[in-house]
Amino acid sequence: MMNREVNDITIEIDGKRVTVPEDTAILDAARRAGVYVPSLCSSDLVEPYGACRLCLVEVDDGSRTRLVTSCNFPVRKPLKVSTSSDRVKRNRKTVLEMMLARWPEVPLVKDLAGAEGLTGARYVHPNVDLNPNACVLCGLCVRICEQGIWEKIVNFSGRGVDRSIRMPYDSLQPHCVGCGACAEICPTGAIEMVDDPNRPYDAEMIRKAGMRITREMIKYDEQQCDMRGVGTAHLVEVMDAYDLLPVENYRFGRHEDTLKIESRVFREKYFSPGKPDGCWLGCTMSCAKAIEGYELKTGPYKGRKVLVDGPEYETVAGASNMGIFDPDFVVEYNFYCDTYGLDTISFSTLTAFVMECYKAGILDEEKTEGLKIPFGASDAAMELLHLIAQGRGFGRVAGKGIRYMKKYFVEHFGADPDFLQDIGMEAKGMEYSEYVTKESLAQQGGYGIALKGAQHDEAWLIFMDMVNKQIPTFEDKAEALHYFPMWRTWFGLCGLCKLPWNDIEPPDNAETDEPAKVPEHVKGYCEFFEGMTGEPQTMDSLVRMSEKVYNFQRVFNLRMGFGTRKHDVIPYRSMGPVTVEEYESRKERYDSQLEEQVGLDPRNMSTGEKLAALRKFREGQYEKLLDAVYKRRGWTDNGVPTVEKLSDLGVDFPEVMELVRKHGG
Amino acid sequence: MIRVNGEPLSWHPGKTVEDVIREKNYRFPLLIVRINGRLVPREDYGKTEIPDGAEVDVIHLMSGG
Ligand code: FES
Repeated sequence: MMNREVNDITIEIDGKRVTVPEDTAILDAARRAGVYVPSLCSSDLVEPYGACRLCLVEVDDGSRTRLVTSCNFPVRKPLKVSTSSDRVKRNRKTVLEMMLARWPEVPLVKDLAGAEGLTGARYVHPNVDLNPNACVLCGLCVRICEQGIWEKIVNFSGRGVDRSIRMPYDSLQPHCVGCGACAEICPTGAIEMVDDPNRPYDAEMIRKAGMRITREMIKYDEQQCDMRGVGTAHLVEVMDAYDLLPVENYRFGRHEDTLKIESRVFREKYFSPGKPDGCWLGCTMSCAKAIEGYELKTGPYKGRKVLVDGPEYETVAGASNMGIFDPDFVVEYNFYCDTYGLDTISFSTLTAFVMECYKAGILDEEKTEGLKIPFGASDAAMELLHLIAQGRGFGRVAGKGIRYMKKYFVEHFGADPDFLQDIGMEAKGMEYSEYVTKESLAQQGGYGIALKGAQHDEAWLIFMDMVNKQIPTFEDKAEALHYFPMWRTWFGLCGLCKLPWNDIEPPDNAETDEPAKVPEHVKGYCEFFEGMTGEPQTMDSLVRMSEKVYNFQRVFNLRMGFGTRKHDVIPYRSMGPVTVEEYESRKERYDSQLEEQVGLDPRNMSTGEKLAALRKFREGQYEKLLDAVYKRRGWTDNGVPTVEKLSDLGVDFPEVMELVRKHGG
Repeated sequence: MIRVNGEPLSWHPGKTVEDVIREKNYRFPLLIVRINGRLVPREDYGKTEIPDGAEVDVIHLMSGG
């Protein structure tokens, strides 16, 4: 992410020169210069507020000298700052004396006052509070709840000496999930967490682990993935940049019109600003986004203004996959898929398949019962969506998915089954999600071996494999295709969302041994599990939990007639270019691969010959990958978990053993 | 000539990490950059010059799922 250009400004603090970006608060500049300024109501997690007035400094801007609170005074021009002039000291002392009079037993107040030479106040405050954990009205809890957690559970109430922090109506709020951020940030211990509805083994351990993520979300998300700002939609422009955004049924990986549907467009013109939309209360990532007041153009609710939940990356990329780059279309099909109970991934991928069949002449207006549906036909795509929901016309056929359509087009329209197998993007009967996998063998395996069908959520390895070149050998890829699916399965076992694991990262993640695994977060999940159950965990023990379930699921697939090697087959479109047009579009890349990886001289070959040679090579690679992954997982060559593996995992129930033995396991 | 993630890339005196990120169109925000194994902090991408012949790793941290 490129940063906005900001000017650096040099100021002088107690004679020390320090250069900071424009708009840095004087307090932060002082810290950077190593100058101590007392403060109480400021924190790097929330906006400054200027409540306590402890951080007073004297500022000379060349024309006049004045006292300001340094936590919320931005540096915009060269200044001379004094943190300990007589005037500053006098005023700071007065502030501290008032605090000491009111909260004489709070250790923090005593310490701050002591540092200024004060041991007691010269007068008695009418509302003196002798509680050592008294609330000092700094408002940090109010701000972290509102700005960090995006809730308003705690707030100020009353005025003057009656001012205090309360929950509305002084009652427990159903919105409060007990995240503990307010208690964590409170400098005096005035907030105590008492309500542990799930009675976990160690609630504090869980809260601490959760708070670390919350802290990262508040501090780093905007510079990292901006999940709070635009959610997963930020991946649209990223995938386009790496030739990974599916365009026209995964034929291509980028398009010049992507900028019309990139996240900036949704942020600026569609998403309701500043409104968090988490999947559940208290999620600080809140990556789900909402669009309010969108006026529908089609279908049964045409003309109505509605609220649309989304769109996420997959939904936007589904549109480019249909060759459509119209943000209104994205919102409209997002709404109707949700309303009809359809999945935007399956709908867009199957429609992209229909469009390619139309382009190839396998379908025409007669066969689609009147739908003119080439790539990019947004009206026809919407029409098809309504027809699918109504079970009418061509929607009756398309709605049954790609696997069904392949068979149907062969039987009814005499289509070439091999071509349909190549371009029909499904595995195990489920449509592909929205990534181009041609240049990542590991990712092809990630889709093909996934238990539920062609989904990337067991293992997203494209960057590790294709860009970083971190997993060059079959063994490396197999290791990744062991670890990550097992790790991801663990989230499923615990009912947790995966996104806070690696869509936000601790600032020092780069310095860890295995940054790809985000070890600090794995540690947090171990603490989460231990805090719930009382059983200490390690990365290996969590993965072992998943391995048991994962292998059992594979056996379940076997029982249902899947679960062997032939079901891990993927369409060739996900391995490489199917058509001459695709090959020619990335000719340089493929030619050099033929030369370097296959050992052929592409100069004397026709595109047809080159396509065939590349295909033979890549299909061979995929088979070798399956061999390596099955071996790593303790499965037979046919992809069946072995008796030894299942015994080792303790999944050796009699029916399980009988079934795998029958399949040579 | 330098190598970026194992692939050759042309070099000129003064070429910075930021130049490489722009040239390779690495738009993903979660990157780890190492020059000959040494970590470069994100704040320094614009001012860190890459020596000729360097092995540069630009690790994209979207992994696993
Ligand atoms: S820290 Fe600046 S006013 Fe409280």
